[in-house]
Amino acid sequence: MLTAFFSQNSRTVITVAVLLLVTWFGYSDLRTAAFVAIEPFFQWMETTWFGVIGKTWGPVFAFIQAIHLLGLAVLGGTVLAGDGRLLNIVLTDVPAKIVVDRCHRVFVWALIALLATGIFMACGVAMKIYYLPVYWYKMLALVAGMLFHFYVRKPLLNHDIDELNPVVVKMVAIASILVWFLVAATGRWIGFSG
Amino acid sequence: MLNEFLYNIAVMLDDMRLSTLLHESYYMYNWVESTHVLFLMVSLGMLFLIDLRMLGLALPDVPASRIASRLTWPMAIGFSVMFITGILLFYAVPVRSTQSVWFRVKMLLLVAAAINAWLFHKRMNESVADWDNDRKAPSHIRRGAILSLAFWAIIVMCGRFIAYDWFDCIRGQSPFVEFVAGCVDGQSRF
Repeated sequence: MLTAFFSQNSRTVITVAVLLLVTWFGYSDLRTAAFVAIEPFFQWMETTWFGVIGKTWGPVFAFIQAIHLLGLAVLGGTVLAGDGRLLNIVLTDVPAKIVVDRCHRVFVWALIALLATGIFMACGVAMKIYYLPVYWYKMLALVAGMLFHFYVRKPLLNHDIDELNPVVVKMVAIASILVWFLVAATGRWIGFSG
Repeated sequence: MLNEFLYNIAVMLDDMRLSTLLHESYYMYNWVESTHVLFLMVSLGMLFLIDLRMLGLALPDVPASRIASRLTWPMAIGFSVMFITGILLFYAVPVRSTQSVWFRVKMLLLVAAAINAWLFHKRMNESVADWDNDRKAPSHIRRGAILSLAFWAIIVMCGRFIAYDWFDCIRGQSPFVEFVAGCVDGQSRF
């Protein structure tokens, strides 16, 4: 019976386990130890080519920031169009499956652009962000967003959307919008901090 | 002449109490700026999807006219919020913004982007019935979409460069840059 429960709800069980693990990690001494242990990595980031260019050439850093913002705009567009369709707000006369699938393709490219430019920017201000709590909130939100998108939202919406519980579909859409809004908002707040 | 006029207007705005309050309020200024940037996701996000659809790079199997018409209203809401917050950001720092080369380029490009958007929609509405279901729009529409993407990419870059202004009047620039930036002889406010 227990085996049947786990096999039927493996995704839910793993998600709850990960959440519990993250919560435990956040409140344990292990978090402090990990924080200290990764400091050399951030110091090293500043010595890389990306770090040196980012710190030395203001215009290059600003240019990469602009690319990052453009990537964010595309990502935001795909999230709002896809989730807006699931909420029956936009593109209501186009099948939800088509909107969600096509937006997902563009979303992946936008996410790759965001990650690539984000790594460059992080190298340029590595020690600053290391000591910024809001940077870690952003990383947490980003990981949560990616896990949610690829591990929860995508597999769920691979099914026939019309046969899914409409409340669940709408909750997923709202959660998706909120998590990516959180990623963007915490990213913006990094600029105001430190 | 024009630069003196713009400088005087900027100083007048700078003297207003509300401008100082907005500039010096840590949270209010940041909220306004964050809202400006976050609504980029709504306005430019929708605009880019429309442009990419015309180029056949996003939602190619959805009729182009449907994408354009259905995404226009959220895009308009996004632009409205960006416009209002943009005015507030300018009002908070009027002198420096008026004398930023990047701000000036940004304003010119905003006008160019608006004209391009008008032409784009006009041309699209004239001919969309012939190619609505095609994966790619005809070349003259694609040109408009590429121009739109280029204009907005440079506008975003100029917006970012305003924060890193290396053509600042206070630093003393070449006569050409001083003219383009709008620096005024003997100005006391920066």
